Amino acid sequence: MTLLELEGVHTYYGESHILQGVDLEVGDDEVVALLGRNGVGKTTTLRSILQLTPPAEGSIRFKGEELVGKDTYEVAEAGIGWIPEERRMFNRLSVEENLRAAVPTAAGVAEGLELAYDTFPILEERAGQRAGDLSGGQQQMLAIARGLVGQNELLLVDEPSEGLAPKIVTDVGEALLSASASVPILLIEQKLGLALDLADRYYVMDHGEIIDRGETAGVTADDEQLRRYLSA
Amino acid sequence: MIDPAAPLVIGDIVDLLTSPGEMSRIVVEGLAKGSLYLMISAGLTLIFGLMDVINFAHGAFTMYGAYIAGAALLGLGVGSMGFLGAMGSIFVVMLLVFLLLAAVGVIFEVALIRKLYEYPPIFMILLTFGLAITLEELMRMIVEFREINNGQWQIDWATPRIESVPSELASVNELGFFSFTGLQLIQIAFGVLTFVGIWAFLNKTRYGLFVRAGVEDEEMAKALGININRTFTAVFAVGSGLAGIAGVMLALDPLWAVNVPLALAVLLPAFVIVIVGGLGSFKGTAVASLLVGMIDALGTWAFQTGVITFTDLDQLMIFGILVVMLILRPRGLFGVEGQGDHG
Amino acid sequence: MSSEKTTRGPAWLGQYLRDHILLIAIVAIFVAYPFLYGFLTNQFGIVAAMILPETRTMLTILALGLFAMSFDFVSGYTGYLSFGHAAFFGIGAYFVVMGFNGQIPLVPAELPFMLLLVLGGLVAAVAAFLIGLISFRLSGVYFAMITLGISEVLYVISNNWDYITPGSSDPSDGVAAGAPSDVGFFEPVLGIPFVDPLNAKVGPFGDETLLGFDFGDPEIVSYFLIGAAVLLCYLAMKRIIHSPFGKVMIAIRENEERARAIGYNTFRYKMGAFMISAFFGAIAGGLLVAYVGTIDPQNSFFFLVTGFALVAAIIGGLGTLAGPFFGYIFLEGVREFLAREGSGGGLQPFLEQTLPGGVLNINLGGLTINEALDAFMTGHGEFYAGIIFVLFVLYIPIGLLGTLRQRLGTDSVAKYVSRRVADRFGSSGSQPAE
Repeated sequence: MTLLELEGVHTYYGESHILQGVDLEVGDDEVVALLGRNGVGKTTTLRSILQLTPPAEGSIRFKGEELVGKDTYEVAEAGIGWIPEERRMFNRLSVEENLRAAVPTAAGVAEGLELAYDTFPILEERAGQRAGDLSGGQQQMLAIARGLVGQNELLLVDEPSEGLAPKIVTDVGEALLSASASVPILLIEQKLGLALDLADRYYVMDHGEIIDRGETAGVTADDEQLRRYLSA
Repeated sequence: MIDPAAPLVIGDIVDLLTSPGEMSRIVVEGLAKGSLYLMISAGLTLIFGLMDVINFAHGAFTMYGAYIAGAALLGLGVGSMGFLGAMGSIFVVMLLVFLLLAAVGVIFEVALIRKLYEYPPIFMILLTFGLAITLEELMRMIVEFREINNGQWQIDWATPRIESVPSELASVNELGFFSFTGLQLIQIAFGVLTFVGIWAFLNKTRYGLFVRAGVEDEEMAKALGININRTFTAVFAVGSGLAGIAGVMLALDPLWAVNVPLALAVLLPAFVIVIVGGLGSFKGTAVASLLVGMIDALGTWAFQTGVITFTDLDQLMIFGILVVMLILRPRGLFGVEGQGDHG
Repeated sequence: MSSEKTTRGPAWLGQYLRDHILLIAIVAIFVAYPFLYGFLTNQFGIVAAMILPETRTMLTILALGLFAMSFDFVSGYTGYLSFGHAAFFGIGAYFVVMGFNGQIPLVPAELPFMLLLVLGGLVAAVAAFLIGLISFRLSGVYFAMITLGISEVLYVISNNWDYITPGSSDPSDGVAAGAPSDVGFFEPVLGIPFVDPLNAKVGPFGDETLLGFDFGDPEIVSYFLIGAAVLLCYLAMKRIIHSPFGKVMIAIRENEERARAIGYNTFRYKMGAFMISAFFGAIAGGLLVAYVGTIDPQNSFFFLVTGFALVAAIIGGLGTLAGPFFGYIFLEGVREFLAREGSGGGLQPFLEQTLPGGVLNINLGGLTINEALDAFMTGHGEFYAGIIFVLFVLYIPIGLLGTLRQRLGTDSVAKYVSRRVADRFGSSGSQPAE
């Protein structure tokens, strides 16, 4: 079943035409990777879905419901979680407060914290610390945890491995893998190997358009075609 | 107190400052003034912190609060009620003023302020400044209208305090070294209450959590499902209500006059406090309020005892603090990088 | 501009004149205004008096209009809101008065007015430099609040420092030039230095003749001279804005990061713009004193002096230079329209004289119309000005002149109109765009 469906999405930043008709689908039990070089509009695609940068044209449907024209918080309430590039902690809030802010209802807070701490025990140890004082890897775990506790039906994950040490990347990858067991993911990831490991399908973007798509099964990080798409 | 006419030498000043009685008087006065300053500036700092809106109409809200309080206390005949009755009435009036001005705040935010969020922050200054001018002139009209209307409504704004406030508030109480008036005690109590209330709101409620999250990263807060627009409205309402409550307190204090220029007289020190504390930091505002209150009390003391003869010394000192602070620490005591910078 | 073009004097002059038909026309209207006012009020009586400001009001408008332009020069063009701009106005005004009274160290008493005026401007520029050192470290809201704070310090000092008023009157009541008994009468002379016929005494008891014409009224002579000074200041500011320096100012407003990235030392340009605007702000203050001879804190250092310059700038159009001047005329017009009797006529005196006596005394629910006017209209110009201002901010944030520019698709309404007029009347073809 199709969970998220983008159809002919055009988005502008001021004068510049970033998305030039994006068509994309995410099913309700799959991980989809969005590949492409820097600056081709991958992050803008996520921002368009979230209505942070509302599209000028086109349709974005989630569970059959049109998102274009809604407020960002309504998109979030509908069940879409965002794990943004550079993690975007509330630095001055504690780890626990970051999680509390992400839980949709007051009643769900206890359950949400339990889920987060079960998944990432390190966060429980650091619960009272300011999020800004965490290491990069811990912040990434907190960012993923925020996505998990939001009772989301789809996670938009943007560059989760960026700026992390290789060992930490493995941890983050495993965390996303275990998350994907319960929630579909639309993933942007520069590390092709990681992306292909996590994803069931992929789309390749260039100049604001989808130029290729396919199953990841059997495709390796050495794939000639893909490498050509992604080299500058 | 000593004879103001007698010339003072440094020795006398040191004597006065080291005498426990004088010192405690200054400290109590400083706490009381600091509490008033906190009440004046709390709403301003809340609104700025979340919304990047410097609300120039803040002083006008306080002025309206003072007028409503003055009229209500007089109308209720609080002066002849006895102490407990009077205190109860003051409390009720305060609640009423809070709700009334919070409602005004909601209307302003939804009808006007909201239209300009996409504009550079300077436009917020312009809009609220225009509102301030309009509100002040409106009150002037109302006051004049009452005078014209056969004097029925006419109130001598110098006297309502004497008539409406129980005499217990003015009498001096002693407690060990400390001597204080009932009014000072009330001011300190409400100052503490304001501080604790806002602190608890920000740190212990879910809404406060949303506010603090929104202050740091509005987009991320939205993406987590927080309805930031509603949060803005709520904060603007609370901030406006707090401005009104400050007006009620000022209406009780004989050092402040209930008149139209009160709006500006409140607005400017409130700005100073918010900036000295660091734009958007409630902790900073609380510390700066105390600091300014203490310095104000010291200045008042110096003037009363004849050490310095400069009528508006307190104002000069308040703005002096601002300038010195900005030279030493441009972002204020607890200012945060990026807050209030752009545009 | 290429050199061969500039060497052809007459062509250049012709071009200049064609480009400035509108400016010349507006100046002509201002020159004719005192006579026009007299003529129209004679002809149409109270109706004209209701709408048009008196010549005396125009004197204030000229000075405060210049102040609004100087405010716009820095705030509108660099984007740094100079919220304490009244400080410079006050410095200019107080420098003239206190300098004349011999109260400023190193400045001998009774210096010629023009010298005091320029010195005051320079002092204000130095003050701006010092304020800029503190405030340009930050931007946005902080800059606005720091400048406001400093101007408030000056306001409090001017309100209380008894040194300002020799003879121990209350400083908050203001101070007059020539107040101390050992100082002569304040007779400011305005004009081009060393050219006798082009100079005249300004003030209520000043000269009645200028250039050999006898106007029979010192008010008109003062109006012309102060107007000429304001025009000169306007042209100077305009020249700077159209120079490469001004281009950088605008670049800073549009995107300071980028201006810095291109390699401009933006701090220097901001500081320069701030100092220039302070200079002209102080000149405006000095010119206000030229006619009235006195100054008080409420009308100089006070926060609302900046406030109304801001209102004028928004109504006229922030970043249009001339706009704020017209904005100020509009604002002052509203105020005088709703003024009380005896200050130039307005709505209420007009109604009192034109309506039959009974009408104004009709009782509407315990209140006569006259009383209602008194309560809700007369003397409450600020209320309506405030509402107009809020509407402008919400719906016409670029102001009147800004809107005109946008509509006409030009960066200068004056040039646009001038060229259209020149084209219409068939002067040597169309001009190349700049």
